[in-house]
This record gives sequence, C-alpha cells and structure tokens, in this order.
Amino acid sequence: MAPPPSAPLAEREPRLAAALRDLGARVRRGAPPETAAPRCPTGLDAVDRLLGGGFPRGGLSEIAGPPSSGRTSLVLALLAAATARGEVAALVDAADAFDPPSAAAAGVALPRLLWVRPPGLGEALRSASHLLAARGFAVVVLDLAASGARAAAPRARESRARGGDAAGASPESLGSRTWLRLRQATAGTDTALVVVADARLAEGSADLALDLAPASARFEGPAGPSDAPGAEGAFLAALESELRLVRDRRGGALRCTGARWPQRGAA
Amino acid sequence: MAGRIACLLVPDLPWVALVRAHPELAGRPLAVTAGAGPRAEVLALSPEAARRGVRLPCSAAGARAACAELAVHAASPALEEAARHALLDAALSTSPRAELAPPAAGLRAAEAAVFLDASGLTACFGSEAGFAAALSARALRLGLPAVVAVAGSRAVARIAARRHLPGWLARPPGEAGPVEVVTPGGDTAFLAPLPLELLDPPDALAEACTRFGLRRVGDLLRLPRRALLARLGADAARLLDVALGAGQEPPPPAPPEARLEESTELEGSVDRLEPLLFVLQGLLSRLAARLECRGLGCAELELGLRLAGGGRDVRRVGVAAPSVDVRVLLRLAALALEAHPPAAEIEGASVAAEGRPLRGDQLDFFRPAGPPPALLGRTLAELEALCGPGRVGAPVVVDTHRPGAFALAPFAPAASAARAEAPASATGAASRARSEREARAEALDHGAVHEAAPPYGHHLTVRALRPPLPAQVEARAGRPVRLASAVARGDVLQCAGPWRTSGAWWSDEERFAFDHYDVVTSDGTAARLRYDPSRRAWEVDAIYD
Repeated sequence: MAPPPSAPLAEREPRLAAALRDLGARVRRGAPPETAAPRCPTGLDAVDRLLGGGFPRGGLSEIAGPPSSGRTSLVLALLAAATARGEVAALVDAADAFDPPSAAAAGVALPRLLWVRPPGLGEALRSASHLLAARGFAVVVLDLAASGARAAAPRARESRARGGDAAGASPESLGSRTWLRLRQATAGTDTALVVVADARLAEGSADLALDLAPASARFEGPAGPSDAPGAEGAFLAALESELRLVRDRRGGALRCTGARWPQRGAA
Repeated sequence: MAGRIACLLVPDLPWVALVRAHPELAGRPLAVTAGAGPRAEVLALSPEAARRGVRLPCSAAGARAACAELAVHAASPALEEAARHALLDAALSTSPRAELAPPAAGLRAAEAAVFLDASGLTACFGSEAGFAAALSARALRLGLPAVVAVAGSRAVARIAARRHLPGWLARPPGEAGPVEVVTPGGDTAFLAPLPLELLDPPDALAEACTRFGLRRVGDLLRLPRRALLARLGADAARLLDVALGAGQEPPPPAPPEARLEESTELEGSVDRLEPLLFVLQGLLSRLAARLECRGLGCAELELGLRLAGGGRDVRRVGVAAPSVDVRVLLRLAALALEAHPPAAEIEGASVAAEGRPLRGDQLDFFRPAGPPPALLGRTLAELEALCGPGRVGAPVVVDTHRPGAFALAPFAPAASAARAEAPASATGAASRARSEREARAEALDHGAVHEAAPPYGHHLTVRALRPPLPAQVEARAGRPVRLASAVARGDVLQCAGPWRTSGAWWSDEERFAFDHYDVVTSDGTAARLRYDPSRRAWEVDAIYD
C-alpha cells in the first residue's frame, strides 16, 4: 500500500530523499529564484510605474499612436534617461523627423546618441539589425511613424493577411517574419528595441506594446486678439497624453493598464 | 649587446607581385616580360616554369618554345611597387623600425628587400628564430613568399637570406619561406666559408680575386687591409668592410601616419560600374590585408581612376570609423561612383587608405560598457555604406534659428565622455565663457538672431517635417481658422502666434523669414504652421508630439 501524500518524503520517495541527503546544501527545494527582467526606465514616474520599471532590455517594444500623442516625447525621455546614465543609444529615424533642439531640451546627451537617417524602410530595418548586432547600445529606437498615416492598423492587418513580409515602401506592408527576426536579434542582448509607429505593427512579436492617444492641449499666457476665433492664449504650454499598456509579455499580471501623462515644455 | 638586423627578402618580385594580384595564376608556369610581344625579355620566372625547363636569359618566344603551357604577362610597375610596400608593411607589423632596401641592379634587379631592427624582439616572439618565422608567415599572408635572415648587419643579413635562394625553387607553393639566424657576434665566422660572389663584387674585382686565388670570404679576411687596398683598390676595401660587419645602424623608425596604396592597370577600358567594382574589390582586399597586418583601419579612402584620354578622376570617400571590412569599403566606393559616375572610360584604378589605429577597448569603472570600439567602428562604417555619407553620426544643435536646421558630428561616445570629465579649470572656464561671448557677437554681426523671439522659454518636443508640407489655410484677420494638409486637417480649435523667425538676410539664397503659429486642429493634431510672406505660402514644418 502506497504511503499517503501527507507522509514524509523519506517514506514516499526514499531514493529521492537519500539523494537529497547526499547532495546536502547543494540542492534546494522549490522553484528557481525569480529574477526581474532588466528594464530601461524612462525617468517619467507615471510611465515607469505603468511599464513595471521601463522598457524591457533584450526585448522588442512598440509605441503606437497618432501624431501629437506624445510618442516622440516618450522616446526622448527614454533616450535622455539612458544617456544620462552614461549609456549609448541609437535612433534609426526612417521618418527623418528627429529634431536635435527638442532632444537637447529633453535632456538627451547628444554625443551619446547615434542618429541614423536611412533613405528607405529596408535600410532602416537593416540599420536596426546592425545596431543590435553591435551590442552595447542601451536603447535602439526604430522610428517608423509616418506623420499623417492615419488608418495604418487596418492596412497592416490586411497586408499580413496576404502574407506580405517584404520590406516594402510602407511599414504596414511588413509581415510578422520581419518582427520575429528583429525580436530574435534583440533577445540575449542588453538592448531595448523600441519601435515607434502610427499603429501597432509587430503585434504578437512585441514583448511590450503601448498605445498613446492625445488627450488635451493647454495654451497659457495673455489672451490673443479677441476677434480671432480660437485664440486661446499666447503659447502652447503643454500637451497631455493617455497611455494604455496593451501587452507586457514579461511583466506577468498587468499592474495598471492606463495613465495620463502631461508633457510640459522644458524650460 | 650589439644590434640585430633582419632582412626580409623576396627574390623574384615581378612574378610574386603578379601572383599576389592574380591568385588564380599561383602554381602555373609563368613568365614576366619587360614588355609586350614575342621578343620581349623575360625578367622573372615562376618556380613551376623553371621546373619545366625555361631558363633565363630568354625572350618570350624562347620561353614559350621551352614550355607550351607558359603564361606570359608583361611586368606591372604599379603591382611591383604595391608589393614592395606590402613587404614593408609585413616588416612594420613586427618591428617599429624598418625601411625598404634600395632597388638592386643587374642579376639582383628582381629582388626586393626590407631591413628591420630585430633588437629586443625575442621578448615578443620567444626567440630570434620565432621572430623570423612569424615575419615570414606574415609576409606570406600578404601574398609575399619571402626568406628571412637575422644577423648583426644589413649586408650579412642579406647574404644569409640569399644563401637560401638555390633551394627556393624546390619550395612547395603556399609554404612560408626559409629562415636563417646568424649567431650574435658570429657574422665573420658565418661569412668565412661562403663564396666571395655573395658579397656582389664588381666584375673587375671578382676577376682579380679569382686570379689571386681568393674564392671564399675567409680568404679575403685573412689578407692585411692596407695591402688589399694597395693591390685591388677601394672596391676591395668596401668588400672587406661588408665582410667585417659594416651597416650595423638600425633602420629609422616608421612615420606615425601611414598611407597605403594599391593600384593596377586594366587590360582594356571599362565603362560600366560592375566590372570596375570587381577590380576595386581585388584592390581593396589587398589594401585591407595590409592594413590589418599593421593593426590599422582605413580612415579615409582615396579612389583614383585613370581615364581614357589622359584624364584622372580622384575622389575621397569618408569612412565613419576606421575599418578593414572590404564589403563596407567597396559599398562606400560604389556609392561614391554611383553618385558621380566617371566622365570617361577607365584604364587604370588605384585605392589609397589613410591608416589609423583601430579603436582600443578601454573599459570604465563608473560607466556602463558601450559597444566594443572595434565592433562600433565596423557598425558605423556599415551604416554609412548602407545609408550613404552624411547620414550617420551624433546630432548637433546648430547655432541658428532656421527651422529644422541640424548637423551631424562623428559618433565617438568615449571621446565625448573624456571631454565631459576633464577638470574644468579656471582657464578652461574663462576660455569657454570667452568663446561663448565671441560666438554670440559673431551671430549678432551676421544677423542670425531671432528678430522676435517667442515669449516663452519652453520647448515642447516636435517632429520635424523635412521638407515642410504645403498647407491650405483659411485665415481670418490674419489668423488661421481652417487648415488642410497631409498631416493635420480641420478647424483650428486653438491657436497662438504669430512669431517671426528670420535670418541670413545678407544672402539671397539663404534668407528666411516666417510667421509661425502653433495650432490645434479638430482632428487632435498640434502642429507648427508657418507663413512665408515672400512666397505667400502656408506650410506645416513640425508636429508637436
């Protein structure tokens, strides 16, 4: 008759108990110790809380949102935090939209930032692969946001449904294999690969996905001419965005799924 | 301890240089002639041709008569010069002091030799024999099978190397050449039993020595110097000096800057890019091997093309970081040629590299490790080859108010960190303050100032639109109320401005003046709108994001 489950291990599994006794302190019972996946913080409390510490290193993250949703501000905050720590970062600027004065005002240490201006989408993807292979970059941002491309998500889905994977003229034409390759290139490195686009592109291949939406714009200062419609104030002082965490493969249970993030102008 | 001199000797440079440029000829019977045509004199033979019975001196036709499979090629001074300098590179990879021997004449005209300082190198290579073997192997890696000898003087080292030439023909192709190490202090004893001809006496002196019964170097050394000078003249005294070890001074140190060049003449004119790139690939491969041998990278590539009609096309191709990656260098050359095709057919090509040390990997206690410098250099070069020149680097904020202006600086995070950590001495701070004042004064002199600076000191992040997108704007009382563009569309819900941005008034081409507005449209986009009074045109030049 087999001993009951509540019986001591020496009765239930005498050989296992003997082996554990022989091995002594070299063996512990229980699951392997949990190690927190390393993250790359943005330095923005609300965002880092939402992301569980920042963007995952060795993983592919997506930031998606329409123009004026704060994608660029978030990326610059991430780059500023990385370069402030003394790390180096890279920006693959397929949209050729990077503005150095904005980055400097956001606190990015420009000498530690490698700015790559590829002439096309194919070159942008290959540039990102080269940068990941170089290792040592804390953050590689692949900016594929084409200002003005509104309804990218439906087109992306249509393209993927057709099995498209070629590096075509638009990011939406990229198939899942491209993103899987990039994710594999990122795995095992200390680099956080962040893709910025108008809509989510990598979908299932992404370790983390963040949707951004514009919330409000605040104008401050003395009022404008009274006869001018819409004249709210003297200058655009702040934009507010809404963030929604839609995927976090490494974070386990979501801590919270949304946040509001005011982008104030840097003095 | 007396100094030690090594001699790196290639006995038949014409065919070695040819095989180095055309590896497919290795192992084939080959004759190199002084010119074209059947009567051209044969200058050098490959070991395979000698084994097939071809003997010097002969003409091209005579050589072909002795060996039907013989490949005959005209000598190329460009290839020989490059091979000669490659030999020097192999020497400089082991010793900092090396120099090319002056070209020999007569029967030794096909010989190329490099002398190098071999003193104190046993610590690096274990022994002088180990050093000589390493030097021979490095020369072979550059396509130059060579003999190496180490002795107390140049002449003795060269003679020791020449002593191995009779066995040269029996050497299997692809095997490193033999090495000889003369015991320190034993130069005279080494020379004594050798034939006097190895000292290269002039013909008249050689005849006189034979007449006097002097056949070996030892016979000469036994004679009193004054009597020898009286009977055989100054040439005999020079011979005696060589035998006694003259020429012990070490070669001068190599200059710190290195310019390496490879060139070739094409058999026919080339007018398309593809065959030209094939030629350039061979040149760059040999150049990269030389750079790698010396631990250098190509910092700048100079591409020289000899055009039909006598013209010459020289262009410089910048490399983002020193690199020896042939693929990258070839891509950069291809981009340069595609952007500006040569004006005529090409009859000859050359590539020259400015050699710079590859970046070392210096880790920092207090800073996270970045990409390894060598890997970073290669990555930068690959990115520049991929994206084109001027599209990779560290961004720089330009001292101008022109919207969208930017500049790129070479990406060197380690150097920037060192600059940032340099102690800010009082002198440094003062000079910085002075330079800022001077820069400001210069900007005022040139009028590059905001004529109406925005009243706020805040900078919201913008995405630049390069070039700005045209917009259709409905304005009321000079302020936009409706906007239609590719990036923002709808009623203007909120608006601020205008602020005038202007500058470069002194130049018709560069002058700019805009009225800027910050607008939020009904589709939720916050855009920076500008009106150009000179063109009466509205544009969106940035999005607040």
